[in-house]
Amino acid sequence: MAAKTVTREQTKEPTGATPWWERNLAWLLVAPMLFMVVVFAILPSLTAILYSFSHIRLHRTGLLRTFIGFDNFVRAFNDSLVRQSAVTTLKWALTVTTVEILLGLGLALLLAHGIRGRAIFTSLLIIPIIMPPVAVSIMWFFMYDYTFGIFNYLLSVVGLPSVRWLSDPNIALYAMMAVDVWQATPFAFLLLYAAVLSLPRDPYEAAAIDGAGRWHVFRTVTLPLLLPVLAVVILLRLIDAARIFDKIYVMTRGGPGSSAFTTTLTVYVEAFNKYDFGYASAISFMFQIVLVIIATVYVKRVMADYSAPLDS
Amino acid sequence: MVGETTFERYAKHIAVAVVVLLILLPVYWMVNMSLKDRAEFAARPPTLIVERPTTENYYDLLVTQRFYLKGRNSLVVAVIAATLAVTVGTLAAYALSRFRLPKNFNYHLLFTILTIRMFPPIVTVIPLFAFYNREFFGFKLYDTQIGLGLIHGFMELPLVLWMMIGFFRDIPRDMEEAALVDGDSRFAVLRKIALPLVAPGLAATFILVFIASWNEFLVALILTGSRAQTLPIAVAGQIGQYDVQWGNMMAAGVITTIPVLILALLTQRYLTRGLAVGGVTG
Repeated sequence: MAAKTVTREQTKEPTGATPWWERNLAWLLVAPMLFMVVVFAILPSLTAILYSFSHIRLHRTGLLRTFIGFDNFVRAFNDSLVRQSAVTTLKWALTVTTVEILLGLGLALLLAHGIRGRAIFTSLLIIPIIMPPVAVSIMWFFMYDYTFGIFNYLLSVVGLPSVRWLSDPNIALYAMMAVDVWQATPFAFLLLYAAVLSLPRDPYEAAAIDGAGRWHVFRTVTLPLLLPVLAVVILLRLIDAARIFDKIYVMTRGGPGSSAFTTTLTVYVEAFNKYDFGYASAISFMFQIVLVIIATVYVKRVMADYSAPLDS
Repeated sequence: MVGETTFERYAKHIAVAVVVLLILLPVYWMVNMSLKDRAEFAARPPTLIVERPTTENYYDLLVTQRFYLKGRNSLVVAVIAATLAVTVGTLAAYALSRFRLPKNFNYHLLFTILTIRMFPPIVTVIPLFAFYNREFFGFKLYDTQIGLGLIHGFMELPLVLWMMIGFFRDIPRDMEEAALVDGDSRFAVLRKIALPLVAPGLAATFILVFIASWNEFLVALILTGSRAQTLPIAVAGQIGQYDVQWGNMMAAGVITTIPVLILALLTQRYLTRGLAVGGVTG
């Protein structure tokens, strides 16, 4: 379609009569965006790489940078906090993604047909999705409170002892995962629900004629048809979950102790509490490489499956 | 669905009811607690419905603690971000959906932009922090509304690009082509024909960027101090203080949520499309 437009345009265009900016309009329209990409993504990324090979001291006159080769990376590999936070990040990303996808998919399939008040239901789901993570965090922070929190009150009603939800290192991380599940499950649901609603009917009728069982139909018809969208939602959740910072920072500052430190939190502390920009950049640079790999797969998928908006 | 039993119909409606309660109860609890005075707040058992509703928490937070200033910062930053992202992103989206750039540049550009969206912001924010603290003509971008607005605007460019390419694709091209044949310039066509046709989408996109900027935490935390601090950062600062003002915190949660909630309900129709590229979240 695009090709047709362009050729038609090219044939009618009286070259020479049109001003230069009209001939290069496409580039001019893209230019501001390219400029921003250079200033806010490419230059900072290159600087971050430079930082990661440097020792940096903050000085009144600016940054004092000394090249130190791979020292920051060697240090990071031997840093138990870096390793521990990488494990925590992985655990967090895999757990919340799995739970959110399973719950979201289950609900989407369950509600695919014949529930009343569907519009109101989906409107309500928007509340957690768009709520500021900070608001969600303090809302749960209060519910988790040892003295005033509703959870400990409910436990006391049934005669159970109170729980230190956010100050017990064995519980805090999971308590915070629950908050993420609360906020992001509706997100997974909404995307999967749209996909479930647009499933074609024919394969199901064929399966019904064959007398296939429910589980069999799910495995051989529904799942393969949903797979493209499912992959997109899983990858997106994985990437977002791996970058988790706000909820953990707000609720426990990564604590108790350092038990809930994720990679972003570790980098934040190294960079903005200890002002060790070089070391922080080295950690975040390695983190970025891992995420870029997942992100590339995801973007390829999203561009292919959401009927890529480019006709090329 | 074929062969649905009565049991399944019940299970479905029970599931819906449970989900609705799980979503609404925490929010209700926050609103409920924000309206209680100190005595009622500490009452055991807690009152399920506030008995002596008061707005003192809201007054104390907004006026006494001057949180209205933080709200204003959030508003200004979000408007700057949305204006910038929508302007820059829409121009690029039009180019990518109407022109074929050489070497499949259309695809590569969109691919790159969407990938950048997925990078962890903590990587680039360290150099940007250093950059923002440098003086240019006696002016520093650190802790300014415009400085944060610029970055938020950039962060949501992929969302705008994705949304607007979709909207431009959805409008018929006949009118644009007719105008071109009549001798209008491409730019005139964009201004007079294409933009008015995508106006609702444009508004929805603006709102989605606004919400994303309003909610953003990490970059706002790092790149603002006290002057340009946004509402979420100020609210988060309440936690960890020695004397926790519970009522104020609950009021802060409500105040931070209400603007984005209203805006989101206005753009519901377009939300799913934006969610697919991670708009709003993360």
